[in-house]
Amino acid sequence: MTFEMSRRGFLASAAAAGLAFAPRGAFAADELVAATFGGTWANVQKQILAPYFVKRTGASVVQSPMLATEQIAKLTAAKGNQPPFDVAMLDEGPALEAIDAGLIAKYDLAKSPNFAALNPKFQGAYGPAITMQAIGIAYNPKTVKTPPTSWDDLWKPEYKGRVGITSLASTLGLAFLLDINRLAGGTEANMEPGFKKLKTLLPNLAAVSANFGAHGALFQQGEIDIGVQNFNFAEELKAKGVPIEFVRVDTGTPAWKTTMHIVAGALKPELAYAYVDSQISPDVQGEMQKSPWNVIPTSSKVPYAGLVAQQIAKTPADLDKMVFFDWAKVNQNRAAWTQQFNRDIRV
Amino acid sequence: MAGALNPKPKDWALALPLAAFFTLFFIAPLGLLVAISFETERQMTGTLGLGQYAAFLTDGLNLAVLRDTLLVGAKATLLCLLFGYPLAWLCTRVSARWQAVLIFLVVLPIVTSVVVRTFAWIVILGRHGIVNEAILALGLSAQPLKLLFSETGVVIVLAQVQMPLMVLPLITTLQRIDPNLESASQALGAGAWRTFFKVTLPLSLPGIIAGTILTYTACVTAFVTQSLIGGSRLLFMPMMIFQQAMDLQNWPFAAAVSVIFMVSVLLIVAMLVALSRSRAARLYS
Repeated sequence: MTFEMSRRGFLASAAAAGLAFAPRGAFAADELVAATFGGTWANVQKQILAPYFVKRTGASVVQSPMLATEQIAKLTAAKGNQPPFDVAMLDEGPALEAIDAGLIAKYDLAKSPNFAALNPKFQGAYGPAITMQAIGIAYNPKTVKTPPTSWDDLWKPEYKGRVGITSLASTLGLAFLLDINRLAGGTEANMEPGFKKLKTLLPNLAAVSANFGAHGALFQQGEIDIGVQNFNFAEELKAKGVPIEFVRVDTGTPAWKTTMHIVAGALKPELAYAYVDSQISPDVQGEMQKSPWNVIPTSSKVPYAGLVAQQIAKTPADLDKMVFFDWAKVNQNRAAWTQQFNRDIRV
Repeated sequence: MAGALNPKPKDWALALPLAAFFTLFFIAPLGLLVAISFETERQMTGTLGLGQYAAFLTDGLNLAVLRDTLLVGAKATLLCLLFGYPLAWLCTRVSARWQAVLIFLVVLPIVTSVVVRTFAWIVILGRHGIVNEAILALGLSAQPLKLLFSETGVVIVLAQVQMPLMVLPLITTLQRIDPNLESASQALGAGAWRTFFKVTLPLSLPGIIAGTILTYTACVTAFVTQSLIGGSRLLFMPMMIFQQAMDLQNWPFAAAVSVIFMVSVLLIVAMLVALSRSRAARLYS
């Protein structure tokens, strides 16, 4: 390692020292630290995955809710030292970034008996997809009388000041922009049509949430009547009694994989594998598919049931019909799009 | 100010633990931040230059965000002063028991988590919040007002959240003013308002400036309040730094934005300090 390299590593780790300062030496011998997303994911993994993992291994687990980008920042900061957690949970775009940056390790199939039963498209070389996130329109049936069928419905004049979307910091907002761009004739290499279309939505926007968590609360408080939303999250709100309905758009449902990974240089690799393997086990995925969670399973041993079967897919082939994006290209342009998004949506 | 006390050489040793702490946990990270801001590549390849600063300063959007952030802080600070001054004045005029009660109420916002307070405000300012329900019920407006995700909302919430930082220094200063001065002013024929503007207000200027500096710096950097109440359509500097550092992993640019923001705020603080020195010098000489 040259001087240049080590100095850079030092700068990088010190730069985000505030993010990842606490040393992990003090942890109990059999304790795994795993990242999870906030909100629904933190709840479902705490209630279903954690007990299953504890029973399987006898070890304990600390599940730390973090945005995907936050996980990458923390792992980058800790590069060369002990990572602050052993299991990462990411969406497709951030996962590619983490792979490129060498933050996550190749997935060793021998350590994960449940991996083989995954639908082949969910078998990533760097870790399995643990679910698909599918998006569509959520609306308040009390105020929106005609159920929407396409993104274009968000542009209807009667929803002036009633529509909610998220910023590009959330994959939800990013996928929405990518999809309206696709429908307007753009590609991941040419986002102009999408941005043009987005500008015409401005009069209808009540809110552009800075993150996904803030977005969910808007439906609950009646702050927005209609907007883009994740399938599971909408269904979870509905199960809680919030007046909300989810519909898929008729131009194809944008979707992406959510993946789990073993962090490079994990302190407890055996436990980390057991944890990820538990998440892709038929037992855990079967439980997670039940309401109110409705997590789309990726194991071929779990047939689609309940709301997932009703709303999303009856057979694995139905998933293939969804709309997917080229996340490698997305990553190349995300910085420029973020700046453009900031500029275009500014009040 | 300086030179009023002549510390013995050994007295400096008392400050050493704190100095060491600050050097390690504040000066050193700050130095690193500045160092990173000169990296020209996002991957931090070690090529140094002013590229990140140029990128910030040549984009009108960034400058508009900086201007808006400094302005929203000024508006919130002004609101704090307008509401905080009478409150602080009241605190010095009531019995000791009532003063304790009032100060407790003033400090109350500090002891609540900023996230909890901000979410409470979302409920209050929302379309179906208390404020809008009252306005609709009173027939003051046919439509709910857009308080959430507006600059007005951000200013209101910042003013409430940072109020103690304004009121506490004001109470201290107002308490130190000799009540005889006001009596003298009135005995010499000045009315209540004239006494206030000619005696109380100028004498409380150090407190106003101290409170303004504290409130202002807290308001412009209030990431949670700005982003939750303002939403993404109102972009302020802290959110921009977060976007670059966390969403886009562009640490050199984030560092440069931070340095520019810090210098801008320091300039404003320096102007306030200069103001306090000149006024104080004139009043007390």
